[in-house]
Amino acid sequence: MAGPLAPERVSETSTGEESALDRPWVTVVWDDPVNLMTYVTFVLQELFGYDEATATELMLQVHNEGKAIVSSGPRERMEHDTNRLHAYGLWATYQRDA
Amino acid sequence: MKPFRRKGDELVARLVDAEADIVGLLLDQLEQLLSADPADSGGDPVLERLLPSGHASDPQLAAEYRDLTEAGLRSGKADDLAMVRATVPPGGGEVRLDAEQARAWLRTTNDLRLAMGTRLGITAETEPPEIDATGEGADDENSQLAVYYWLTAVQGSLIDALAAGRGDRR
Repeated sequence: MAGPLAPERVSETSTGEESALDRPWVTVVWDDPVNLMTYVTFVLQELFGYDEATATELMLQVHNEGKAIVSSGPRERMEHDTNRLHAYGLWATYQRDA
Repeated sequence: MKPFRRKGDELVARLVDAEADIVGLLLDQLEQLLSADPADSGGDPVLERLLPSGHASDPQLAAEYRDLTEAGLRSGKADDLAMVRATVPPGGGEVRLDAEQARAWLRTTNDLRLAMGTRLGITAETEPPEIDATGEGADDENSQLAVYYWLTAVQGSLIDALAAGRGDRR
């Protein structure tokens, strides 16, 4: 099953110059046995403004495939997103997009 | 426990005295854990779950992330915890939450479940313990599991009440 693509966050200070260094970063949420499915869906809606269908699809991807990309964009934004997810107790990491 | 329901702009539940006592005790334990010197608690799997690494495979990035965020994450959890404590009626009774307090309850009950779940080794296959009315089967681990599943029910009702309210606003 192909997962939904997380909408890319557009940097406000984008120069328009693209290089390998500009390759976007992503925030990944990993499956864990404690967080409730309804909680993960709620938090994804709360933090990223996803509608219920999108948040549910991402939650199911985490549950069934072990992880899902929930946001993408510049590194600082992904650090921030990871931090916001950690504040809610979701197991999240950020990395350069593969 | 009467689970959380939406009443107007508020989320309302009711705790009996033993439940209020347990929540108070769990909050004390979590506070102690979060205020421990990081140097003394290195390698504690519960703290590693509550303050997780930001990067899966790059130790340098993970260290940078931790430097940048850990103090804020700890103080946010401490603020949530204080807010939850202030809403628990001593001796039991009604819990009434506004939207901000409800978020604090969500995050703190989740932290409590993460802490207990990590200590108890909860997996996707773990089942609620069978404890009958006579207390049969209530050894220490089963009692803790029962508290874990009680917290799950509390948090679950709060999530459902908040999600239902969000649907209504559309």
